[in-house]
Amino acid sequence: MKKSKSGCDSGLQQSHNKKPKKNHGSTPGTPGQKAEEKSRAVIKDACFSGPERSTNSSCTMQKQHADKKPRSSSQEHLMKTSSAEDEKSDLDLYRGEEEIAEELKKQHQPDSEAVVEAQSSVSAAEDLQTYSEKEWRGNTTKSQLIRKGYEAIASEFRLCRVRGDNYCALRATLFQVLSQSKKLPAWLQDSDIVKWPKELHSDENFLKEWQFPLESKKNNVQHLEQCLDLLKKKWQEAVQCKSLAERERMSQQVFRGLNEEYELLEALKFLMLRTAAQLHLNMEKGSDVPEFCWLLFARDSSKCPKTFLTNHLRHVGFSGGLEQVEMCLLGHSLQQTIKVFRLYKCDTEEFITYYPNDHKNDWPHLVLLTEDDRHYNALIPKKSSRFDEYGRPKWNPPSDGQSNLTTPL
Amino acid sequence: MSFIPGQPVTAVVQRIEILKLRDGDNLILGFSIGGGIDQDPSQNPFSEDKADKGIYVTRVSEGGPAEVAGLRVGDKIMQVNGWDMTMVTHDQARKRLTKKKEDVVRLLISRKSLEEVVRQSMMQR
Repeated sequence: MKKSKSGCDSGLQQSHNKKPKKNHGSTPGTPGQKAEEKSRAVIKDACFSGPERSTNSSCTMQKQHADKKPRSSSQEHLMKTSSAEDEKSDLDLYRGEEEIAEELKKQHQPDSEAVVEAQSSVSAAEDLQTYSEKEWRGNTTKSQLIRKGYEAIASEFRLCRVRGDNYCALRATLFQVLSQSKKLPAWLQDSDIVKWPKELHSDENFLKEWQFPLESKKNNVQHLEQCLDLLKKKWQEAVQCKSLAERERMSQQVFRGLNEEYELLEALKFLMLRTAAQLHLNMEKGSDVPEFCWLLFARDSSKCPKTFLTNHLRHVGFSGGLEQVEMCLLGHSLQQTIKVFRLYKCDTEEFITYYPNDHKNDWPHLVLLTEDDRHYNALIPKKSSRFDEYGRPKWNPPSDGQSNLTTPL
Repeated sequence: MSFIPGQPVTAVVQRIEILKLRDGDNLILGFSIGGGIDQDPSQNPFSEDKADKGIYVTRVSEGGPAEVAGLRVGDKIMQVNGWDMTMVTHDQARKRLTKKKEDVVRLLISRKSLEEVVRQSMMQR
């Protein structure tokens, strides 16, 4: 039987054939989809406690072909389809609609209270090798390539799965900022970032177009001010944590799918916009700008910051994720280097890609993982790592304890 | 010697030839060394760059072979008889200097005051 695996390895399925920016029209009219509709409704309630948007829910399930059936795992409503080439696999990874609907029905009843509670949007750290073997069974070239990629990094990192919606790139980055960042970046320390929305908006009501996932009584500018204030507070709190356990607890508090998390994600988007506006200004003046800027504004749909906002950025989290050039913008705005292990590029020089790549040595690294450039997960260094956060080898301390010997000869 | 990323590292060096002194069964050089990649570089009073894990001369015996040859306290030993000394442990450095079969050690050293002299003479042009 034909199966095809979508790019997503956790969270809800995203289309991997279309560009994520386009509105996918999430309501399939195909018959016999009632069970799917029901399961989708259940999932929507379970993982997203905010108000719904009519066509662009952030828990969008994409279905393109009637024969492509997702399977869900019991714990976190993860959806997946298996590879079209996976015919050689002995294991039947294929579950019918009825089976899925039944399972969800079973869960839905006892857990109806749980549905109201917040669900974690980033999983606890798990072993990469185990994960890889569980998710990528089968012997297709693709499976082997992806498993090889996982194996290459399994000794250095553990995996934190990030909920798979259109916010996942931002969410994974935010998670790394809060759980790994060692100090506040200069721009956060030196400026009062809460003033930035007003400044940006004063230029032709820039922020009029902004979309928020959760409604608020405030206007756009005030809402963004609140988001930035929260980001500053949380980052400071994270950096000041005295122990790893404290830090972990703090991150878990944030990543529960509640208002707080979405405000922080919107803050990141704002920073991207502001940086894009500044870079565009520099480009017009003729000053030096990083290479990715040319690509960012070369697209017909985003020739300037305003159109970038209207056509791209405001849809991030709703109907689209981040393109690679936008990942560069994100890294540049935060002054962090987002180092991504791209598993489908294993065995090529793009296996590890830095967004952006011009500050690898002086901006702290935030390490992410993607199997397909669509869904991103976070990587936590294993404690026994031999490399520091810049990728430089750590020296072993002297073994005999004497560290300032002087020897007469 | 400090370094500026992106710029070539330059050093003013001097060659020093020490004839070891035989004292019974021992071969004496007449100086002491500190430093090494397994040592704590922040304790080094002679280095310009406190992360420099090189081998430095910490004492020179008065009238000993080293002093006679022109070695001075604070000199950084770059090479010994052609062997690199900038990336060695303390014990490796000691061994390279005290080989029983060698009567002579030819050192390549760098000295801050030397660099200053050269810099000044270049400025006077």
